[in-house]
Formats: sequence, C-alpha cells, structure tokens
Amino acid sequence: MSTAVTQIDAAAHRQRLRLLATSGPGLFWIMLFLLIPSAILLGIAFFSADDYGNPVLPLSLQPFQQVAGYSLLGWDAGNINIFLRSLEQAGIATIVSAAVSYPLVFFILSRPEGIRPLLLLFIVLPSWTNQVVRTYAWLELLGPNAPLTWVAHALHIVPPDLGLAPGSFAVTTGLAYNYLPYMIVPLYASAEKLDWTLVEAGRDLYASGVKLFWHAVFPQTLPGLLSGVIFVAIPAFGDYVVPQLLGGDRALMIGSLIANQFTETPDWPYGAALTIIMLVFTGLGLVGFRILTRKLGGAEEATI
Amino acid sequence: MIPRSVRFALSGISWPVYVLLYTPLALVAYYSFAPAPNSVGHSLHAYNVLLHDGDVFVALRRSLILAFGSAIVSTALGTLLGYGLCRFRKRNAKGFLAHMPSLIIYTPIIMPSLVFGISELIFFNFVHGATGLLAAGLGTMIIAHITFQVPYVALTVFARLSGLDPYLFEASYDLYANGLKSFFYLVVPVVQPAIIGGFLLGITLSIDDFTISFFTSGPGSVTLPIYIYGAIARKGISPEINALGTLMISTIIVMALAHFFITRQRERADQLAARGNVS
Repeated sequence: MSTAVTQIDAAAHRQRLRLLATSGPGLFWIMLFLLIPSAILLGIAFFSADDYGNPVLPLSLQPFQQVAGYSLLGWDAGNINIFLRSLEQAGIATIVSAAVSYPLVFFILSRPEGIRPLLLLFIVLPSWTNQVVRTYAWLELLGPNAPLTWVAHALHIVPPDLGLAPGSFAVTTGLAYNYLPYMIVPLYASAEKLDWTLVEAGRDLYASGVKLFWHAVFPQTLPGLLSGVIFVAIPAFGDYVVPQLLGGDRALMIGSLIANQFTETPDWPYGAALTIIMLVFTGLGLVGFRILTRKLGGAEEATI
Repeated sequence: MIPRSVRFALSGISWPVYVLLYTPLALVAYYSFAPAPNSVGHSLHAYNVLLHDGDVFVALRRSLILAFGSAIVSTALGTLLGYGLCRFRKRNAKGFLAHMPSLIIYTPIIMPSLVFGISELIFFNFVHGATGLLAAGLGTMIIAHITFQVPYVALTVFARLSGLDPYLFEASYDLYANGLKSFFYLVVPVVQPAIIGGFLLGITLSIDDFTISFFTSGPGSVTLPIYIYGAIARKGISPEINALGTLMISTIIVMALAHFFITRQRERADQLAARGNVS
C-alpha cells in the first residue's frame, strides 16, 4: 500500500519535473524579459523625476497629478482631450471596421468553398507587410497632394492648402485599415458556424430581410463581433505608428504622448503614470467586454 | 442560403473594399517608378539609387538576422512550452499557481506594443547601467522579438497537440520509448506542421513589427522599418523609400501566396492519398 503511494508520489514528482523542464524556459523568458520590465515601468510612476526625467526618490504621486493636467502653470485640459480623442479615434475605427466586416464576411461565405480561404487571405495580407510601410502608404492617398485630397478639395471638405493627412480623418482611416483583419477573422469564424435553419425558419414566417439579419443572423455572430471589438479597440487605443505618421500635431493620441516622455522630452515617472492610466482603461474595457460576452452567452474559445 | 439580391449587394460592397485595401500599396509601387532627374516618364531610377545605397543593405541584413535569429529561438522555446503545457500539466487544477502559465503566456499578446517596447527600453537601460551588459542594439532587439513570438508559437503547437489522441503517448511508452525518444520520434514529426507554422508566424511578426523594435534599438542597429521611418520623418516620402516599400510589400505578398498554394496542394495530395487508402 505504502509503496503504491510512494510510487504515485514519485510519478507526480516526475511529472512536475518534466513540466518544469519543458515549459520552464519559455515561461522564465517571458517573466524575465516582459513581466519584470513592465513591473519596473509601473513602479517608476510612483517616483519623482530629476532634471533629466529619470526616476529618483522620494516617492511621489506628482506624476499622476501631471496626468490629470496639473502642472506649475495650473490646470490644463490638454491630457483629458488627448484621452478623449484616443477613445474617439479607437471607437470610430472599431465601428468602421465592424461595418465593413459584416458585408465582407458574408460575401466570402456566399462564394464557393474552394476560394474562400484565398479571399480571406487577401484581406489579411496587407497586415503582414510592415506597420510603417502600410501606414505611410496612406499618405500617398491622403497627403496634401494626393488623389483623395483633390476630391476633398473639389468638394470643399478640406481647406485648399491642407491635405486629408495629417489629421484625425487619416488616423481613423489608418487605424481601421491596420486592424480590419482582427475584426474579420473572429467574425468569419462565428459566421462560418451560423445555423442557417434559423434563417430559413424566419423566412418561412415572412420576416423581412432586415428582421432576418437582426433576429436570426446578428445574435449568432455576436461572439465573433465582440472578440473583434476587443482585438481592434485595444491596440487601436494605444497605437503609436498610425498617429505618429498620419496624425501630426493636430491629432495627438495617448500613444504618442507616452512615447514622448521616453524619447523627445524625457520624464519617465510621468510617462509611466500615463501608461498606468492607459492600461487601466484597457483593462476595464477588456473586463467589461468579457462580462458582456458571458451575459450574451458567447462561446468560450479553447484556451491554454 | 443568401438570396440573390443580397448576394449582389454584398459583391457591390466587397469588391470596392478589396480594391481600397490594395490602393495605398499600389500607389507606393506606382510612385516608386518616378522619372529620373531631368527626364520624363517612368523609370527604375529609384531602384538604381537604392541598389547603390550601402545603408539599405546593412539595414536589410540586420532585419533578416533579427527575424531569423528571433524566430529560431522562439520556435525552440515555444514548442517546448506548448508541448509541456499540453502533456505534463494536471487537468482541472485549481488555484492561482495553476493559472500562472496561461497568465504569463497571454501577457505578451494582450499588452499594447508601445507599453511592451517602453518596458523593455527601461529594463535594458537599468541592466546596462548596473552591469554594462545588454547595451541597446541588435541583441536587445532579438531578445524583445523572441519575447513576443514565444506565446504565438506555444499556442500553435498546443492547439495541434491537444487535437491528438493522448493514448499515442502511452503507446509510445509501452514500446519502451523514454521521454526524450517519445519527444523526438512522436511529438516532433506529428507537430512538425505546427512548428513550421509557428516559425513562419514568428518571422512574419518580426517583419511586421516597428514599435517594439524602435524602443529596443540602439544607434547602431537600424533595421529596414526604422530606416524608412527615420527617412520619412527627416525628409518625407521619396521615390527611393517607395522603391524600398515596394520591394518589401511584394516580397511578403509573393511569399504568402507561395506558402498558401504549397500548403493547399499538399493538403489536397494528402486527401487524395487518404481516399486512395480507403478504396
């Protein structure tokens, strides 16, 4: 009896050793080179800044006051505006990509099965080119002397000496373009599993096209849509490349504001405090959507 | 399933979207054939200038070292990680410790790349200040790229393994294969497509990335994306930058299409072979 127990113990011990030997190195790598560094970054937010922007003692909450807009010159709404603008840009980009994704996904599903993967590939392909290249490419279309800007000039949407880029419109377009595949792929996955008998049943009951979509199709694709919203909104909110290349000074977003505290005008504690606020927003969004997904009965994907 | 009229409308919306997705990229290519100075008409002048630009070739070499170097290491770490979690972790284990691996694996995926990059910047800065090691450069870039690739490789391998019959492993033990033998003779061949897929994914992620590279690079480790970004920031878009962009875009498109058709052909051959066996 006791030898059996020790044998089981030994087996469990061996199992644990094997787990450590195989998954240990990878997990250790991520802990050392990401978890510890990000913990340091977050910790820096609670220090004071010296003249060079480096963190020094004493501990202080001043960086957070700076985030809220307080400085030696009094209160300023600049940061709050940047936050709101980032939320707005990410929000519009998410809505645009969802609005484009629905027709695209059902268009692909309406094609013969053999060419669907190819149609999907051509959606995803631009996102495999480099971030900088596919973002600056939009300047060729939206810049001061570019085709779409001529159209905008002719329609008197944009003053004659300016282009569509740099500006908010270009940033929203760039974000939607960059993250469209992240909306399409989960939406496609849930639309592919659609139970069409529900649609047929609705049709038999003389439901109109709009009603059919709203009551029979939309609820079934909701889990995919919600995953897509998370995959688009979160990276778009904190994006760095797009506002940097397409935004200019008039469309500053939170990402550029944070980056500036570590590059151009260093103030590490302030930058770290901004990062914390951004992560809190991101985290709240993530948790909110998870709760929403569960409430709406979204299927949990298989996870590690 | 979808009525004819709706299908018509779907096509009417979707084809223009496809065109729009490729218009900016096509314009990059179009402007890369700008006329040479003091002449008219399209030319390969920009490509010629590029060919004689030593900096570009140095940057290209660094980008390739970065992509392949990081993908090789992350494939090794990620494969072991995915394999270990699938095989040796207790199922239905409860508690914080049991969830630790998942939390660690998902952090690099969820974390915004800007936060990722800045965390590494500060970390490498501190380590360098304290020990003199890890000066910002190609080495720190490779470390950072490995870090964001490992989870994707691990998830790919894990997904493939969890679709496998667990009795296969026991069968291999019954045939007196030890852990290592079972790993190299059973696991590696079976998950080989996932390992190759993970490796290619790693390279794609590395080539795609700018933000993390930007914050972990040093003065002497300019890669292609950083080179392009710097050139645009300094003097705007030039035909040479468009030529470089065109080359990068077309390489990716050709490689992706080749990979797509090769794997599809292989899958079809496998299906045919399987059907042949049955009949």
